Amino acid sequence: MTTLALTVYVLVWPLVVLIVMGVIGRAFFAEWREARRSGQDLI
Amino acid sequence: MNDLDSVQFSAVIIVGLLVFFYGGTFYISTRIGKKQENADGYMTAGNKIGFGISAASMTATWIWASSMYASAASGYTYGISGPIHYGLWGALMILFIYPFGKRIRSVAPKAHTLAEVMHARHGRSSQLMLAGSNVVGSVISLMSNFIAGGVLIAMLSPFTFIQGVIAVAGGVLLYSLWSGFRASVLTDFVQVMAMLGAVAIIVPVIFFAAGFPAVFESGAANLTPQQGNFFSSDAFLGQGAPYIAAVLAYAIGNQTIAQRLFAVREDLIKPTFITATIGYGAMVIGVGMLGVLALYLGFEPTDGDINNLIPEMAATYLPAILLAVFFIMIIGALSSTADSDLAALSSIMMADVYGQNIAGKGKANPKTMLLVGRITMVVATAAAVAFASLQLNILDLLVFVGALWGALVFPVLASFYWDKVTNKAFTTAVVAALALFLPVRFGWIPMSGGIGLIVDILSVIGIGVVLGLMAFGFFGIRVGKIVGVVAALVSAPFVIGFLHDYATLSASLVAYAVSTVVCWAMSVGQTERFDFALIRQRTGDFDDDDPRRDPTPEPAKEA
Repeated sequence: MTTLALTVYVLVWPLVVLIVMGVIGRAFFAEWREARRSGQDLI
Repeated sequence: MNDLDSVQFSAVIIVGLLVFFYGGTFYISTRIGKKQENADGYMTAGNKIGFGISAASMTATWIWASSMYASAASGYTYGISGPIHYGLWGALMILFIYPFGKRIRSVAPKAHTLAEVMHARHGRSSQLMLAGSNVVGSVISLMSNFIAGGVLIAMLSPFTFIQGVIAVAGGVLLYSLWSGFRASVLTDFVQVMAMLGAVAIIVPVIFFAAGFPAVFESGAANLTPQQGNFFSSDAFLGQGAPYIAAVLAYAIGNQTIAQRLFAVREDLIKPTFITATIGYGAMVIGVGMLGVLALYLGFEPTDGDINNLIPEMAATYLPAILLAVFFIMIIGALSSTADSDLAALSSIMMADVYGQNIAGKGKANPKTMLLVGRITMVVATAAAVAFASLQLNILDLLVFVGALWGALVFPVLASFYWDKVTNKAFTTAVVAALALFLPVRFGWIPMSGGIGLIVDILSVIGIGVVLGLMAFGFFGIRVGKIVGVVAALVSAPFVIGFLHDYATLSASLVAYAVSTVVCWAMSVGQTERFDFALIRQRTGDFDDDDPRRDPTPEPAKEA
């Protein structure tokens, strides 16, 4: 593998991690807001 | 750059970090704590958790400290493909279980443990096999996480290993004890955010601090041709293939997964499992890349102990503030799994031991169940601390539990789809598979000549079973059978005469093959059929008086 390909190969995972973080975080806070709005327990 | 000694934290800083982490998680758990907890809530949080929390919890639970250490070790040992052969297959464990999870949830929507469902389907022996393996597996996992915490604290602070173990165990018990599974999944969200955020920062920082990408050229000589090859056969046979064989076994055998399966809202099972698959894979492979970087750098862990690799890479290349973030990441990883193990153990003791076998389903007192759950957490923590302190060699026990889970895969899955499977077939298949697994795995008999050939033929069948089951989960019985047969036929020329030299892999495949063949052979001729609707009646909430529930359920009638 070339240096560029290896660099991308190593650094792509933190990027995917950030995306997953965004997806989970957004869903959590949406559920939290909904629970507060409806007066129910989050869990 | 730092070296390990110069960045070692003072006692005050370590105590501060631990108080920050465990104090924070304890505070979060108090926000959802109820004076009168509910036994079903303590086990499954009411079966209606949303996507955000369940995806976070599934990801956090599946990532333990060993995931990170082992992924980096794989990168360091097998080179650039090493982390893929650890993290990708580990991630696929979550993905491949979800279609089965949907089926399990549809027949037992209010169950608490998989073993409880096996009791409803078959009776006591199959339930106790699954519950027993879950208990041993969770105690081992608990102990491993406490050991990882103790080692990390001892490495980075003036505290001893034992003090570290006790601090971690006490911290996890503190926030898990009162609200059980509810506390576990809510704190998982915070823990997974901390872990994911830490990986997103730490991996690139170490990458550039260590001199990459230039080191990819200057350090290339440190790699063997196999380590430098993305399609390394060494990496596949030594790391990837045994892990693929374990994919279904660990997902089926692990109560922490089943517990989340029963907790998430039924329509959210698919997105939850897919998100957890991606989250787990990216995080574990990302951390595993530190092992690849270490290989290029020619980095030598202290005493050649590969478990020191990640902490020492972090200590060497991270400034103190990011080393603290790294510390929180590892503590978060091991705590999220440890609290899940405590919740899993308490559910098994509450539902399977007390609820099903001592009190009886219709007579179980929810308050007594809660007491059983909390006592279980305390006893399990104490036992895991004691085992961790003794630093017992648990490898053989771990291998045995893994084999038991492998032997359980086909009988458990078949029991959810095939109405002919009996308790006798289930039990005999598992015992027979274990009986053949042990001599193959531990080399009790010479693998030369005819024995080796038989093992290879069984391994071929095992390959067909594993791949067939995976395909069956997603595409149904017809595709599953075709994939199984084709996989066996295609692999046969490469496996026969060869695979018995790889004891770990061939023994796992033998366990799959034997349990499948025996279970199938003993079930196929049965004329009596099981009514799956009975499972819904025989499992359910312990706290309410649902009139649909049969108050005095009988064990499944066996043919």
